[in-house]
Amino acid sequence: MRHYKCMESIQFNNQILNHSDQLFRLAKSILRNGDAAKDAVQELIMKLWEKRIQLDDVENMQAFMMRSMRNLCLDIIRQQHDEDELPAEFEYAERNPYQQTEQKDFASQIRNMIDKLPELQRTIIRMRDVEGMELAEIAYVTLLTENAVSVNLSRARQKIREQIIKEQKRVEETVWK
Amino acid sequence: MMNELLEKYFRAETSLTEEQELKHYFSTGNVSPAHEMYRALFDAFEQEKQDIAIEPLKKVIRSKRKEGIGWIKILSYSGIAAAIVLAFWIQRPQQPENYAVIHGTRIDNPEYAQRYAERKMNSVNEMLKEGLRPMQAMEAVKQSLQPLKKIKETHGNIIETEKDSQH
Repeated sequence: MRHYKCMESIQFNNQILNHSDQLFRLAKSILRNGDAAKDAVQELIMKLWEKRIQLDDVENMQAFMMRSMRNLCLDIIRQQHDEDELPAEFEYAERNPYQQTEQKDFASQIRNMIDKLPELQRTIIRMRDVEGMELAEIAYVTLLTENAVSVNLSRARQKIREQIIKEQKRVEETVWK
Repeated sequence: MMNELLEKYFRAETSLTEEQELKHYFSTGNVSPAHEMYRALFDAFEQEKQDIAIEPLKKVIRSKRKEGIGWIKILSYSGIAAAIVLAFWIQRPQQPENYAVIHGTRIDNPEYAQRYAERKMNSVNEMLKEGLRPMQAMEAVKQSLQPLKKIKETHGNIIETEKDSQH
């Protein structure tokens, strides 16, 4: 009995370990806070451990965990909204001058641009371009149709592209001046 | 060719393989100047992929729970041990302190106390012997009176035989 339980927990740990980084990145993308993301992942792991018997029936473990992670994070955001009526977007969008000068390289500026996209769009673009997930998997996680995922992905990429072009023009103008 | 693929990418019409191709293109040095501004986009994705959950998160549930139980165990065991030690400390049989009091002075040296006691016992013995001396004298009197007792007996016998002969 003990041996069985031990095997069960090893199996569970391995499954979590295989996906913990992805879960963390997803939580961080939605919550836009590294510490809150860590807490959320821990909470999810506890919840999944309690329901571990049901996990045997799950076909795509990665997608299932990502979906659970997103739902949990959305709950957290909703609770935050209830507690303090500050829009999460507002607080995050304001960056102090120190942070702005700190972001010298363009890549981290772009990461910042992605963070400012609406939750669905930033979640989708990251699941696709960072995690390399199939549209069908993203559809499963976000509870959307593949077509809707595709539309949101396109919007997200276009918005980032526009900002890149804008930033490029601004840099060129300052150089010519 | 790459231009087309990029346009497709922004319309979200590329497959994962095509996107892999784009990533490869931007990771090499041969990027057309027109595409240079998009290099940072693919760099950003690559950077984010390096963003990993740091160590504490990797200690997953079971080991964490074990750790917790371990602590509770250690705490309760040490608690029990402390209680036992404390109980013994409190209930420890008080070591009887052996000492003698001689003429109101406390004597802790057992040898001295024993010698003193022996001396006293001896003197008691002497006193007893002294006291028994008159008794010894009495015994001597008793023995010297023994012949008188015999005479009395013989006298009694004689009277009895006289009574018998009268009948």
